[in-house]
Amino acid sequence: MFSQWMVGIAFFLHASSRYRHVKKFFHNLLENPSYPYKKFFDYTMMVLIIISVYILILHVKHDVSPKWIFFNNYVVSFIFFIEYLLRLWIFSDTSKIVIEQYEHDVFIQRRFNYFDAFRSIVKNKLSFVTSTSAIIDMLAIMPFFHEFRILRVFILFRVFKLFRYSRSLTQLVSILSSKKFEIFTLGIFATVIIMVSSVLIYVMEAHNPESKINTLFDAVYWSVVTIFTVGYGDFVPVTDEGRIVAMAIIVAGIAVISFATSIVVSAFTEKLDEIKEEKLIDDVGKIDQFYLICGYSPLSAEVARQFIRHGNKIVILERAKEKVQQAHKDGFTALAYDSGSLHSYKAIKIDIPTQVKAVILLRDSDVLNVYTALTIREISPTVILLSILHQDENRRKLSLAGINEVVYTQELIGLISKEVSGRPVAFEVIHALRSENSGVFIEEIGLDRMMAERFFEVARLPLFYKRLIVLGIYKTSESKFLFNPSTDLTINEGDVGIVIATRSLIDEFKTLMYQKGKK
Amino acid sequence: MIHNSALVFGFNEYAKQITLQISSEYPSFTVFVMNETEKSAARLAGFEAELFDLSEDWKSIEDRFDINDLIIFCALDNDAENVFLTISLRATFEHIPIIALAGDHESAEKMKSAGANKVMPILQITAGIISEMLEKPTVTEVLHDIFYEDSALKIAQITIPEESFVVGKHLHDIDWGSEYDVLVLAIVDHQLGATFSFTSRGHNHHIDPDDILVVIGYEDKIATFSRAMGVMI
Repeated sequence: MFSQWMVGIAFFLHASSRYRHVKKFFHNLLENPSYPYKKFFDYTMMVLIIISVYILILHVKHDVSPKWIFFNNYVVSFIFFIEYLLRLWIFSDTSKIVIEQYEHDVFIQRRFNYFDAFRSIVKNKLSFVTSTSAIIDMLAIMPFFHEFRILRVFILFRVFKLFRYSRSLTQLVSILSSKKFEIFTLGIFATVIIMVSSVLIYVMEAHNPESKINTLFDAVYWSVVTIFTVGYGDFVPVTDEGRIVAMAIIVAGIAVISFATSIVVSAFTEKLDEIKEEKLIDDVGKIDQFYLICGYSPLSAEVARQFIRHGNKIVILERAKEKVQQAHKDGFTALAYDSGSLHSYKAIKIDIPTQVKAVILLRDSDVLNVYTALTIREISPTVILLSILHQDENRRKLSLAGINEVVYTQELIGLISKEVSGRPVAFEVIHALRSENSGVFIEEIGLDRMMAERFFEVARLPLFYKRLIVLGIYKTSESKFLFNPSTDLTINEGDVGIVIATRSLIDEFKTLMYQKGKK
Repeated sequence: MIHNSALVFGFNEYAKQITLQISSEYPSFTVFVMNETEKSAARLAGFEAELFDLSEDWKSIEDRFDINDLIIFCALDNDAENVFLTISLRATFEHIPIIALAGDHESAEKMKSAGANKVMPILQITAGIISEMLEKPTVTEVLHDIFYEDSALKIAQITIPEESFVVGKHLHDIDWGSEYDVLVLAIVDHQLGATFSFTSRGHNHHIDPDDILVVIGYEDKIATFSRAMGVMI
């Protein structure tokens, strides 16, 4: 009966989308660093911790309002308690454990053993409860259960909770924990030195009435203060033998400090690249819209510069680390990942459909560009793909791979050569418009309903007379460009106007179209 | 201005495309290459090529071609060799138009110093096109059609003859769009300098003989406009 009830509940929870949704929400809130609302939760908890510690310090010598004491002991602790329970809940999927046990028992034609399932759940949850961070969480809740003054010190454990909410602190712990063995060795070494020197100094000094070192505790205290190079001077050896011990321990102290420093420095050095990369991935995840450039070469650098000059953001993916370093030196955001691998996009957490304006494939060969295009098409069938074409005979293969736009530089140069030699001035004019270095721009204006209605009315204003050239209207529905259109042309929403003018005049034109439309 | 003869130096993929594009534009054109491999590649593409080396004194060119009606394309693989070729040609022929390819902006500056009239920096051109295709797809399409496709819409540069009725008038005296269905993008006003200025800058230029108008319009309208100006294109 109980086992049926247990399995029934497990299947119900497993199938309930509402339950899954709520659990996922709390999982994101507590554990997912890329979840946008997590930072608000973290900041709130950090503020509560700071208030708690402040009240504790204030309470040492001052009277604190009972309301604040209540707030500190009960409200904050209750919030932490709820947080603890939520973390315990999301740590593992209990219903899944029950279902797996049930299916396992059914498969081997055995009666469902709810005790095994229960044991698995407890074992699983215990691994959370016994983790360092969960123990700190539990200790931080302690003032909630007791009002003994001594237990208020447990509020200090709340400071350790800061590690949960601050990524930098978490990284610090992770860096140091990578050197566990070295730190352990150092600890043993320091302990042995302290023990030996304490005994020696006690033996040498304790019998001398002029010496302040009278107990073994005094000796240990002196050794610790000396070995860590603090040397308060409240206890000093007075015998020659004691001073010899002191000299030896001072030298040993330098060794301990050097060893400790080298451990920390080497830990940071080893992890520095990893930390930088994690930070970079985080930063990329926060960019709203950017162009993704696959492959880094002089052309990629030039393309990136052009986009940045126009106020766009770019991210470069390049497998070769030395090229990525060069990209960083050139001032670009670049990640050392293979753009042709699905795994890369999971690792760098780029959401192509929402974050990427277009993907530009500039890898070393058509083979790699096709492969990358197919990888990206698996993630997003709609994102715009533009690729450089290395060999003309591969053009069709690039199209088949789902690449929307292909640039064949050699052909482009051929076409330009023809124009440059035939109509040099005309070419220079168009080149100047395109390069946007002359102060006059050719701009396409996507027209919404309001702008479409007012386009010609605004274009006829004296301000724009002879200074804003309406080259034409691109009728989107007909995919047709109408050159030098008459002012009675009906423009529809979604059509594109192409105008030539100075930047300020184009901006004014757009503003007036919109303002007049609103009126 | 279209010349009668063109010389293309080099036969890599770029030079091949240049040759393919200009072959129909020039009654006579010759390809010069530095080695047998390039010569074979040219032959494979249907072009006869002649060998040259960078130490030549180029007297043979003077003997074979009318240097007043000649244009040269320098498209060697190596930027340093291309600069050397350009400077050698410029040293011999002061007035021949030279169009040169350059790998990047840095080489482009050297080509200009070497005497090339027009330099095409490959990297910058490609990057510019990529950026424009994604940022301004409609503009790219329209300009591509005007320049490179068999579209009826064309761009033309029209030199104003002395006897043209527009001589003595100002640019804004005429409503080019309504009267001729062409748009005047720029003018080379020789009184103000050798370079062009955009009409959308708003300056009301005085039109003189030999000024050049850069216009966009349908092919037949440009022809009508040219006739009205007193020239044929």
